[in-house]
Amino acid sequence: MKMLIQSFATWLKATPLSSFVVESSWVWPAAETLHFIGLAMLIGVIGLMDLRLLGMAKRLPFAPLHRLLPWGISGFVICLLTGTLFFSGDPFQYIHNWVFWGKMLSILFAGINVLLFYVTGVFKNVENLGPGDDAPFGAKVIAGVSLVLWIGVMYLGRMLPFLGDAF
Amino acid sequence: MNFLASIEQSGFSTWIRESPSVWAYPTILFLHTVGLGFLVGASMAIDLRVLGFSPQLPLEPMKRFVPVMWFGFWINAASGVLLVMIDATKMLVNPLFYIKIGFIALALVSGRMIANREFGTPSTGKSSAVIPVKALAGASLFFWVAAVTAGRLTAYLFSHPS
Repeated sequence: MKMLIQSFATWLKATPLSSFVVESSWVWPAAETLHFIGLAMLIGVIGLMDLRLLGMAKRLPFAPLHRLLPWGISGFVICLLTGTLFFSGDPFQYIHNWVFWGKMLSILFAGINVLLFYVTGVFKNVENLGPGDDAPFGAKVIAGVSLVLWIGVMYLGRMLPFLGDAF
Repeated sequence: MNFLASIEQSGFSTWIRESPSVWAYPTILFLHTVGLGFLVGASMAIDLRVLGFSPQLPLEPMKRFVPVMWFGFWINAASGVLLVMIDATKMLVNPLFYIKIGFIALALVSGRMIANREFGTPSTGKSSAVIPVKALAGASLFFWVAAVTAGRLTAYLFSHPS
């Protein structure tokens, strides 16, 4: 596995995309800016849905709030694409950094959490939450886990240069 | 030693900047990121609804998310003051920093005007009624994106002390 990652990074570093990212003076700052805007879109939609399920702004019906989800997903995709640019630009600073793997693992867990939300029937249960309705306990657990994981993702992302040695 | 340098070289600033602890400088940066997420994120969600996305979503109960914005705002005001202090000679001479603060002020004013209109708080002036609320929401989105952009670019442009 380690060998595979190493050779993938070696291959990636030799691609034109990689040199484009590191040799350009504007790609990295522009991608960082977009990474923060994507982060805000993700937290703005997913975070507010989590807070609603946890009991804040209870007078909001859940289904129409959930209809803002495409904006949250767009935010995630912006972060994924710009994150891919960082990784392509300098893969070696990430593959040897445990903070990076911790961040990826947290995103994976957040993804599994989303999957559980939809496949275990929790979404079906909360879809019809009307104004003033309290979410069931299972939904609250998933919402709480989601908040903790996304804040954890931000923490680990910010710690890349400090706990690890990437920027 | 000039004023900016004396802020930057104060014992407190030096302690934050040079402490090897992850609880010093890195944690302040992290808090600034979380605050951004909640402040800009909650504002954007309200703006999108005002612009007409998910029209079945009742707007008025969304006012409960305004404290989430203020939570993010105060985290960032506090962490931001510290970040400026430890880097005063660069930040306070960087035009992008003032552009960022200007955009934040404009975003807060447009947010306030939207709240006055949609959340039924007493109107502070007649002027807000002249501008369509969707224009305010579009402006608010633009101001937040501009503030984040200017903030991020302070690390790259005009960032060398004169």
